[in-house]
Amino acid sequence: MREWVLAALSQYGSPALFAVMTVSSIGAPLPVTLLLIVTGSLISLGVMNLWWAIGLAIAGSVLGDQIGYAIGRWGGTALVSRFGPARGASERLAKAEAQMRRWGGLGVFFSRWLVSPLGPWFNFASGIAEYPWARFVFWDVAGEVVDTAICLGLGYVFSDRVQALDAALGDFTWALVALLAAVWLGWKLWKALRSH
Amino acid sequence: MALAATITFGYRASQHARRLRLENEPIRSWMSVPFIAHTHHVPPETLYQAIGVEPHPHDRRPLRAIARAQNRPAAAVIRDLENALVRAGHTHPAPPGGKGP
Repeated sequence: MREWVLAALSQYGSPALFAVMTVSSIGAPLPVTLLLIVTGSLISLGVMNLWWAIGLAIAGSVLGDQIGYAIGRWGGTALVSRFGPARGASERLAKAEAQMRRWGGLGVFFSRWLVSPLGPWFNFASGIAEYPWARFVFWDVAGEVVDTAICLGLGYVFSDRVQALDAALGDFTWALVALLAAVWLGWKLWKALRSH
Repeated sequence: MALAATITFGYRASQHARRLRLENEPIRSWMSVPFIAHTHHVPPETLYQAIGVEPHPHDRRPLRAIARAQNRPAAAVIRDLENALVRAGHTHPAPPGGKGP
């Protein structure tokens, strides 16, 4: 799939970029970070137009995010109650709603770029929790602009090292997630010890 | 466990960051000839010649499409390009797994 997606970008350019960003934002596991980095490299090569690439990458991502939000809002509860009662989906739904109430717009914003694997999940949860659509669009667009700027910028600067850059960014993201988890668990432990 | 994961992924990220400076990109079947020429800093004509293709000014075809047109596996096209890069003086080692399509 990874080879196919990148070959499509290489051959068809911006339309392929738009399509992949849309499908990926709905939840398909596609290599979007590498796709954007390679796009930055192709821009530096003069093969793709900078403004078309930026516009279509953001438009595709936001469109996919809106579809995910709409599915959660108008079909999420029904989907979960129909297909997932045996797997504890109701509990997960309640947790998703609680997370959205707690993190709100910041959760949407950071899940666009800092912890992007959680992006589709946050779209769905935002819809289920009926997070206000206008605010969702605002944080969504802000996050996607940051994500696109970072990945295209890095791809442009390190245009001859795209695969190593993608691997470094991937591991850096997981290191960051693990560090946040360690800090959070340490804080919970400290609180529990102090209460005794 | 979270701390161990932080250290492991942090170490791997630093190793990849080191590769940014030291090694050339492995060739993949999704890459076009001008893209490979750019990442390895060689003229595209050198690579086109190595795989027996007439140079195109705006060629965006990935190697897999070129291989299909030549009725041979993408791995064979990649091997020809790697040999051409070695002849052109590119001797940086590719990372493990870098030979595949």
